Amino acid sequence: MKETQAYIERIMRVNRGHQRLALAVDHSLSSMLAGQAMLVRRIDKDYEAEHWDPYLRELWFPVEIQASNIVIVERPARTHYLPGQLFSIIGPVGKPYRFRQKLRNILLIAYNTTPAALLLMVPPLLAKQVSITLVLMGSAKQYESNHLPEEVEVLQADDNLTWPDMVMTLGWADQVFVLVGQGDEAGYFSDIMQLMRERHSDIPANYVFGVVERDLPCGVGACHACVLNLRGAQKLQCTDGPAFDLTELRLN
Amino acid sequence: MAIDIVRSRKYSLTVSTPVMPASGTVGFGDRYRDLLDFEKLGAFVTNAATIEPWRPARGTRIIPLDAGVLVHTGLPNPGLAKVIKQYRRAWANMPIPVILHLLGTSARQLKRALPLIDEAQEIAAVELGISDDSDAADAVSLVAAASQMEKPLLARLPFYECQQLALPLADAGADALVLTAAPRGTARDPHSGRLVSGRVYGPLIKPMILRMVGRLRRQLPEELPIIASGGIHSPQDARDYLEAGAVAVQVDTATWAQPKMLERIARDLGGWVATRQKDALPDEWNPEMTHTEVIQRRAT
Repeated sequence: MKETQAYIERIMRVNRGHQRLALAVDHSLSSMLAGQAMLVRRIDKDYEAEHWDPYLRELWFPVEIQASNIVIVERPARTHYLPGQLFSIIGPVGKPYRFRQKLRNILLIAYNTTPAALLLMVPPLLAKQVSITLVLMGSAKQYESNHLPEEVEVLQADDNLTWPDMVMTLGWADQVFVLVGQGDEAGYFSDIMQLMRERHSDIPANYVFGVVERDLPCGVGACHACVLNLRGAQKLQCTDGPAFDLTELRLN
Repeated sequence: MAIDIVRSRKYSLTVSTPVMPASGTVGFGDRYRDLLDFEKLGAFVTNAATIEPWRPARGTRIIPLDAGVLVHTGLPNPGLAKVIKQYRRAWANMPIPVILHLLGTSARQLKRALPLIDEAQEIAAVELGISDDSDAADAVSLVAAASQMEKPLLARLPFYECQQLALPLADAGADALVLTAAPRGTARDPHSGRLVSGRVYGPLIKPMILRMVGRLRRQLPEELPIIASGGIHSPQDARDYLEAGAVAVQVDTATWAQPKMLERIARDLGGWVATRQKDALPDEWNPEMTHTEVIQRRAT
């Protein structure tokens, strides 16, 4: 991990709600893997004084990494960015997602958040012929997904957290990643675990992972604001996460 | 440059630069090594250790504020004995003195823990955190108990009570006062809609603590050093505290936002070279800083 600088090389509006920024980054960030993120802070080169609003760095998950040290991130369209804008970046933050060796079908669930933290895994998994189903739940249903690869099956859950062919998608999935928005993470994860338990008598280890994307003050494990209780241990979202086995995570 | 940041009694605590991180911001000693050069700092202040293990706070722990942040971590730690065991190797490799931040809830409990601290040679001094809920008698008995150890004792005062506590704690045996812990506040969590209490950090608290430091400097015995902490986000902020009478400063959450700022302040106050921004290309010391020019070179 180190602190580096990046600048916006290009801005692409992908739909009404989101834009993608092509960031020219340091070499150390071009090898990031799905699950790893960057702590980003805008630098105003026009002002001598530091600006402290926003105060904390933002957690940005790359959605694509291209050659020549270009990292693509997805940001809300309502935030105004300009090509050439500079950023200070601390990263990579976190550990890569762990996939099963014989992965054939993966189920991704975004619950009350955009699925950006799950998207970097899509190109490599598609290249390995893994089928990907993305379920959007809660406020995530507002996410427009038409810019995602056609091979990704995108489904919308209803208010009862069920979706078309739910029994099949849950039954076929070799692995499940559930990304939840900030707020009542424990409640959101409980909802998902309830769904799982209704369909699996026994949920094996390393089968369903909860992905946490809370604000990270330091990102290096110093402040202990992101401590999570797991069975028998305490882990940090910033250095051990962002994905945790939901059968291990203590949800209360 | 050598600065003694405790009053001359049995022990001394000398730092080469009057800048250190505040407790809770840089961990126990095994973090930030990739982002900070500890050698540039005066001392290392650890996260809070409690006599017994403490669990993390439940619910929301971080609320972003306008130009600041409200933090409520619950100060999770495995307890003093395990903290010492787990981190003493990291402390031994630290190129600067290590100040253990200790939270004691009772004088009796604290007395039992003192031999552990005395035995750990890696700990240069202890910073005793005085709880916001302590009354004056409790705080005095805690400091009196902690002052029995064979190391310098710094007492970190709570923001709202520091005026009343400063002199009694100095009389009770504190070798230096740290002014102050970040003030407590309450803010609404934008995600859950609940009100959350915690400590408030950001540049806005500096004017309040700066006033407090100046005022207490005039009231306290001259030989009692004050270490200022709160809202430091630039070298000028740190200089303001020194001008108000502090002997050293602690930088808190600015390190999270801009880790190099801690080093930059240390360099500025450390008797090396003070610089200011001049042009447009980054230099190796401070990536966000452009070409620099020397504005002051202090004698070392």
